[in-house]
Amino acid sequence: MKRTTGIRRLVLPVLILGLVALCLELRTGLTQAQFQDRSETSYEEVERQSHKEFPVPLTPLPKTITPCRACHGPEKDFPVNFKRREDLLVHRNVKLLHGGVRVWCLDCHHPDNRDYLLPLSDGKLIDFEHSYLLCGKCHGTKYRDWRNGIHGRRTGHWNGEKTYYLCVSCHDPHSPKFKPMEPMPPPRKPWAPKESPTKH
Amino acid sequence: MSDQTGSNSSEKLRSATESGSQEVVKTDCTPSNNSTVLPDRRTFLAGAASLLGMMAVGSCSWQEFFQQQFQRMSKKEIEEVVARLQEDYKRKYGKEFVVGTEAPIDGTLFAYALDIQRCIGCRRCVYGCVEENNLSRDPQIQYIRVLRFKDGTMDLEQSDIYYDPEEVPEKGYYYMPVQCQHCANAPCTKVCPVRATWTEPDGIVVVDYNWCIGCRYCMAACPYMGRWFNFTDPGIPSEQVNPQTHYLGNRPRMRNVVEKCTFCIQRVRKGIYPKCVEVCPVGARKFGNLLDPNSEISIIIRTKRVFRLKEELNTQPRFYYFFAT
Repeated sequence: MKRTTGIRRLVLPVLILGLVALCLELRTGLTQAQFQDRSETSYEEVERQSHKEFPVPLTPLPKTITPCRACHGPEKDFPVNFKRREDLLVHRNVKLLHGGVRVWCLDCHHPDNRDYLLPLSDGKLIDFEHSYLLCGKCHGTKYRDWRNGIHGRRTGHWNGEKTYYLCVSCHDPHSPKFKPMEPMPPPRKPWAPKESPTKH
Repeated sequence: MSDQTGSNSSEKLRSATESGSQEVVKTDCTPSNNSTVLPDRRTFLAGAASLLGMMAVGSCSWQEFFQQQFQRMSKKEIEEVVARLQEDYKRKYGKEFVVGTEAPIDGTLFAYALDIQRCIGCRRCVYGCVEENNLSRDPQIQYIRVLRFKDGTMDLEQSDIYYDPEEVPEKGYYYMPVQCQHCANAPCTKVCPVRATWTEPDGIVVVDYNWCIGCRYCMAACPYMGRWFNFTDPGIPSEQVNPQTHYLGNRPRMRNVVEKCTFCIQRVRKGIYPKCVEVCPVGARKFGNLLDPNSEISIIIRTKRVFRLKEELNTQPRFYYFFAT
């Protein structure tokens, strides 16, 4: 009897240890495999996406202010002034509420060619149709979600051609906070019985 | 006592059959002293049933009365039904209707995701759905209910659907639209006594309005209040009716049938996003194929924090709520 109990005492911990080791091994193997898989896919995905043209609609720019080079430029009336100013002579409708005091016009607009935005690290200028590339420089996680269709609106086909709404289609770049809107009417309340005059 | 009566009448019947006489056998329910012959119970029931049948047939055409359940119909029968429906709708609304019967696309399993952090409770989805799916304006039917919760709470009983501020989003509140969750383990389809509602291979829970008997068991079984009943004929102005329809989707319904969200079956089976996804001004609504690992929905489930409503009921909804950040 004592011997059997002794064997049990020995066998049980060994079994438990074995099980735990097996679980750990399996888990590590799986995690590694998953991690490898994901990292490979995501890297390829990034590579693929960076060369891909997103089907975006035209930038909602007012016609009156473009082309910017009509006024801005070295040979024009408004030479580049790198000094940060709150009160502008023109563009008085632009109230900059983006990034507090840390951001101003020339953090996004190209100083020498206002028809374009500042370039990415490759040096190529970004036009207004591809402004999302510039937005992505600061808002990287949002940009990633937007590329995957998680952030922002899309219309068209779920399994085919779709139109991506640009960042600036929903967010005014100078004041990006989403503006509140009037809600549509609430549903009608169901018929409620009138209270009887006599109370029980 | 009843045994005795039963044996008496059976004896009478037997004797009448044996003798071959043509005279009417008087049963216990016909008093012998009455000169007028009243119908017995069986004759009365048969008469009443046929009368009710005639009345039922009178309210619709013969073809409609004898129409089969959609899944059991042959191709030819479906074509006939579609032609008849298109003619009926044209007569009623004065428009050329398209009643589609597009089959599920192979390799698709639809799912939906809603970013609960983005939703601002503007109800654009509600009215987009009403227009697209020919929902009754009067009496009002809306497939989507937008619940408003106080921040930090998630008690459905305390939520409000009648909120009406000047502007949304309101400070201190968040919003959660609820509609049919297209459950993988749908309780509504299990309780239907006539199998008028079922889950399609692409995951959409549909209703055959012509087969529905209006018992509303499915409404009682649904824990999300995702089904609606037409107590009267749906009221849709002719100029607002959407003629692009699907047999299992947004074709005009009739009185006494149950209806529900179908993920805009008339659109998604053609590859187009559902209407509520397209009209959402903040892009909180996402839709896609669960079987495609690169679809929006798959990426959301893989990378974001998601939850499903009333998960503890094991209904396994294909409608996910998620937090994008």
